[in-house]
Amino acid sequence: MMRRSRLQLWTPDIVVAVCLLLAPWVLPPLGFSEDTMNRILVYGLFGIGFDLLFGYTGLLSFGQAAFFGTGGFVAAYLLTIMGLPSVVSGLLIGTLAATVVGVLVGMVALRRTGIYFAMITVAIAEMFFFLENSPLSAFTGGENGLPGVPAPTFYLGFATVHIGPDWTMYGFLAVCYLVGIVIAHRIVRSPVGHILVAIRENPLRAAAVGHNVHRYKLLVFVIAAAYGGLAGGLLGVLQGYMPPDAFTFSTSGQLVMQTVIGGLGTLYGPLVGAAVWLYLRDFLQSTLGLGAAWKLALGLVFVVLVCFLRRGIVGAIVDLLRRKPAAPAGDPVEADWSADAGPTSEADATDTVRARRDGEPILKAEGLTKRYGGLVANSNIDFSVTRGELRGVIGPNGAGKSTFFKMLTCEVQPSAGHIVFEGRDITGHSVTEACQLGLTKSYQVNQLFSRLTVRENVTIAALSRERGSFRSDLVKDLTHVPGLSDRVDETLALVRLAGRADHPVSDLAYGEKRRLEIGLALATSPSLLLLDEPLAGMSPHERVETVKLLKSIARGRTMIVIDHDMDAIFELAEKITVLREGQILVEGTPEEIKANPAVQEAYLGGVNEE
Amino acid sequence: MLNWANFVSQCFNGLVLGALLALISSGLTIIYGTLGVLNLAHGAMFMLGGYAGWLAYEYSHSYVVAVVAGSLFVLVAGIFLERTIIRFFYGRPPEDQILVTFGLGIVIVELVRLGFGSLSKSVPAPEWATGITSLGFMIYPTYRLAVVAIVAVALLALYVLLYRTRLGMIVRAGIEDAQMVDALGINAYRVFMVVFGIGAMAAGFAGIVNAPVAPITPDIGGDILVQTFVVVVIGGVGSFPGAVLGGLIAGEILSITSMFDPAYSQVMLFAAMTLVLIVRPYGLLGTQGRA
Amino acid sequence: MDYRDSNDPPSRRRILQAGAGLAGATLLGSGFPLNALAADKPALGNYPAGTSGSSVFIGICTPRTGTYAAQGEDEIKGYELAIEHLNSGNELMHRISPRIRKGVLGKTVKYGIADSEAKPNTAVQAQSRFISENKAIMISGSVSSAVAVAINKLAEREKVIYLPCITGSNDTTGKDCVRYSFRQCFYAETAANAIGPVLVKNLGRNKKIAFLTPDYTYGHTVRQSMQDALASLGGWTVATNQISPLGTTDFSSHLLNVANSGADVVININFGRDAVLSIKQAKQFGILDQMTLVMPYNTPFLAKEVGANIMQGVYAGTDYWWTVQDRFALAKLFNEAFFKKHNYMPEWGANSAYMQVAMWADAVERAGSFYPVDVIKAYEQGKTVQSTVGPVHFRPEDHQLVRPVIIVKGKKPGAMKSADDYYDVVEVVDGGPLMQKPDAFGCKLGSYT
Repeated sequence: MMRRSRLQLWTPDIVVAVCLLLAPWVLPPLGFSEDTMNRILVYGLFGIGFDLLFGYTGLLSFGQAAFFGTGGFVAAYLLTIMGLPSVVSGLLIGTLAATVVGVLVGMVALRRTGIYFAMITVAIAEMFFFLENSPLSAFTGGENGLPGVPAPTFYLGFATVHIGPDWTMYGFLAVCYLVGIVIAHRIVRSPVGHILVAIRENPLRAAAVGHNVHRYKLLVFVIAAAYGGLAGGLLGVLQGYMPPDAFTFSTSGQLVMQTVIGGLGTLYGPLVGAAVWLYLRDFLQSTLGLGAAWKLALGLVFVVLVCFLRRGIVGAIVDLLRRKPAAPAGDPVEADWSADAGPTSEADATDTVRARRDGEPILKAEGLTKRYGGLVANSNIDFSVTRGELRGVIGPNGAGKSTFFKMLTCEVQPSAGHIVFEGRDITGHSVTEACQLGLTKSYQVNQLFSRLTVRENVTIAALSRERGSFRSDLVKDLTHVPGLSDRVDETLALVRLAGRADHPVSDLAYGEKRRLEIGLALATSPSLLLLDEPLAGMSPHERVETVKLLKSIARGRTMIVIDHDMDAIFELAEKITVLREGQILVEGTPEEIKANPAVQEAYLGGVNEE
Repeated sequence: MLNWANFVSQCFNGLVLGALLALISSGLTIIYGTLGVLNLAHGAMFMLGGYAGWLAYEYSHSYVVAVVAGSLFVLVAGIFLERTIIRFFYGRPPEDQILVTFGLGIVIVELVRLGFGSLSKSVPAPEWATGITSLGFMIYPTYRLAVVAIVAVALLALYVLLYRTRLGMIVRAGIEDAQMVDALGINAYRVFMVVFGIGAMAAGFAGIVNAPVAPITPDIGGDILVQTFVVVVIGGVGSFPGAVLGGLIAGEILSITSMFDPAYSQVMLFAAMTLVLIVRPYGLLGTQGRA
Repeated sequence: MDYRDSNDPPSRRRILQAGAGLAGATLLGSGFPLNALAADKPALGNYPAGTSGSSVFIGICTPRTGTYAAQGEDEIKGYELAIEHLNSGNELMHRISPRIRKGVLGKTVKYGIADSEAKPNTAVQAQSRFISENKAIMISGSVSSAVAVAINKLAEREKVIYLPCITGSNDTTGKDCVRYSFRQCFYAETAANAIGPVLVKNLGRNKKIAFLTPDYTYGHTVRQSMQDALASLGGWTVATNQISPLGTTDFSSHLLNVANSGADVVININFGRDAVLSIKQAKQFGILDQMTLVMPYNTPFLAKEVGANIMQGVYAGTDYWWTVQDRFALAKLFNEAFFKKHNYMPEWGANSAYMQVAMWADAVERAGSFYPVDVIKAYEQGKTVQSTVGPVHFRPEDHQLVRPVIIVKGKKPGAMKSADDYYDVVEVVDGGPLMQKPDAFGCKLGSYT
């Protein structure tokens, strides 16, 4: 992962600029009027924010009209009734107002996810519509909107440009769009952009590798609101009139449809979608003479696209271009375990130092108890792990191993007792905080970002180490994060996936996915790594490989491993804790455990273990 | 302006509004609870019920026939939609399901417009429920009283279906634990089909019962849908009792606020939803399960 | 490619000079084409780009989906009939605009129709497209004042004449009036002033009113005008004023308040679907059995939607009702032509659309040119035109047509002679005295160029 050169960085921006420059010559002969093109730009800009929100982060909001309208009406109010002379300041204040509204709405709506989130955004946007229409009509003109929004004038030193209802308006909007897309390009390439995608793919894991998912969601929600606000203001400027229908549900709906038609997660999708939508609306009505049935036709187009072409038009084109006769997907690369896989860099060397065996416990749990209703999953567990140790935890089915692990990583809050990690009481912390402190786990069932490549997966995990749980470095290029690519390469080498780095996760074999699962946890540079059944579901051959991997990463690290595979645990662990019926049965070296009659009874008396 | 007779009548009025919202919302909520699909075409189903009923009335001049035909038509339409489109979306992300039902809603509305035009249609109230009834302290349209009774019966029927039958057991199990129903295998899919049909029918039934109160137009479903969302969020997604409670609360809020200033009645409704979300994020009677 | 090349400074100056010259030409008098030498005119708006061929284009944008779709479709029928009559030189058209032969100034009229969805935003977009793509020389259509006001501004900016169709707000030819727009239909002020005396005459003095007012400018304006007129004319008082937001679907809480208010008369100012819903529900609450309903600004198709049974005895103010054909010969011609095509009697949206096109053709013919300034000045001569509701003329100061308001009363179902025979015409109120002073609502027409 090399630092991107200046030219590489700017290429997409330059391409967009050239396209915007050429459009006035290319599109009008195809039947696009100037007004249509201007509207496409406004909707395109509006959609950039929405695409970041839905396409990148996976948050489907049906209430973007609230911000579109807020930005538009605040700007229009200032520019008409208040007589603010500077149009640009009006637009900026409108955008700011939409941003503030975005924070407030976000704090309510983001309390929930999925369909709940969608419904709440609909409802909140409707509330704005009703507020605009009646109680606030003194400011908004109510049902008549605000006519007379002025267009800006720019003093360029050598000339004064009056933006009027001609191609100067297109120029003005094109510049606004360009600024919007340039910023969006930066956001997408920034660490934040990658974390947003991670949240879309697997919010649970994004939180588990140490990112504050809620704050990132709020951040992108507010960004989308700002884009909406600016676009709303521009709509007023474009037509010299701020329409009340900016606030309606159908505005939000149209934005969603346009973005889906154009292509989600592409940034250009909304622009293309708006072009298709507006063009078809005219085409169906005038050329095909469908009259009122135009909406039916567009509705059908939309349904068909959702059913069959989920990635929209831009997505389909991208997929088509990418489907070049690339190197065959390739067989899983046989991992080479012969080379020394110990600490190779300074970073890992310091880990080694940190993990020196000094007899001091890195993790200490006292009296851990978890009750689910009347059911006790764990009761009164005292547990302690020494720095540099490799601890195995075993127990028959239903012994409460998983709950125990979840409590240690703060996924589940204990009903009683507390956990001290590196001298700090972490009881009641979130998974994200625990990870930030250096405590993380790999999951029993793979929790990967499955539509991303192996490298991207590891990068997302490694980012939390470099950046903490939240940072809004929106315009910093990912490749410019110091030390990131080294850490990613090391992790990839460690889990023997360097050769597969650029393959999407979905291409990997099961064993490779398991290694990546461990890699994700490793990339956060934990001082204590918990492995929840790392050997689950593996073939005998894969088990042998993975045990080798675990041995190699154990060097210089503190680890706790749960597994059903007793042989593996006996081979790996220095000390083993046996759980039974939610309590600690016995602790000791592998030899002691093997010889312990209580353990034998627990296993023989229980269900036959594999 | 504020006197007791007026207040009591407004409360009563809220009950009527709320009952209707409760019925529509329970349709939405059982579909979501069982199938995990948020049906944005639910408003269109409400509208479709009205039109089907109106058509039946035009031929039969019988209110009962209109209600029966309207509901049955929407049941069939729901099952048809489920079989032809919705079922292919069970395995896809919830956002896809929202998008496709949103698109279907538009298609249905515009199809109806194409077929029946935009002028509103109305079905008169049945002979036995025309006129007004004096309740002593107030007068009230007889048909609206009948609506409360009819909707109460419908809700009771839904209750019996959900809590007293095998189908209901599966549906409720699905609301509690989606994976369990998924694990039931192919048979569950037939249940899905029936549930989608019944959920749509609840909306369609409400649509035709409401037709004598508010004439039907192709766009009638839109406003109802948003109010239904609020009801479901207040009551708790996937909860049948929640939908009923949420419906009644929403009806009372709309009605009582409009006594003071009608301009704020919708705003207050959304404010109440926000409040519930802050205090009880899963809704008044919701559980963490499906939501 | 770009017809707006004309916007460069030299041609602007030319326009100004031409404008000054024209002002002189106007003085030369009426009766003659204002300026026969079209070739002398500078480019302005879509002139001459839109008039160089053998046809001219009219952009029509009305709601075809959404709340006002029914009214929008009715307008379209009126437009299509008018344009057909223009191109064929029909007798009716000829009697409104005597100079009309076939087409306008010898050019065939073509048109495009777009759906506004009753949204100002969509309407502006569709009309912009007609202006830039089709070089529309005139644009028309509206069912709500929001759309009319929005397109007013567009017309002024693009220098293309706009003729709104249904718009009841005082603002359309009041504070939001523009040089390039002309309104045919009646509006809040004339509606209120026309129906007031009729109500006092028929219902008596000292009545108590319950208002049902939609919560936007138009609603509040009508309510205020009616309240003032009825108080001074007949000493009527207000029992309650029930304000509802636009798009209210359930009026029961408002109606309960009305039922408990002890009013004698319900004045319902709602329009469109809100009107239909509020009336039907008022009936259910038994209000219409105790109180007289008045619709000062009647919605097209209202009677068809709520039914004759409910509408009987209701007083309503309207722009046109087809039975005025007993008084006005042109109305009969219009009704017959319309009925033949569509098998129902036209509503006032269709009439407004037809009259707007016909009066525009007349102004163009009188101007002798499509040059917008000439056409506007032809309008502003205030020449009396024969219309379907008798002689009418435009007021030059605010571009409002001085025209009568028709007051109708709902017939008993048994008294209806045909399916469309919902109302008796009570009075055709002369429009002139109903209107405010031209500047009373803050109208300042913009410049010609």
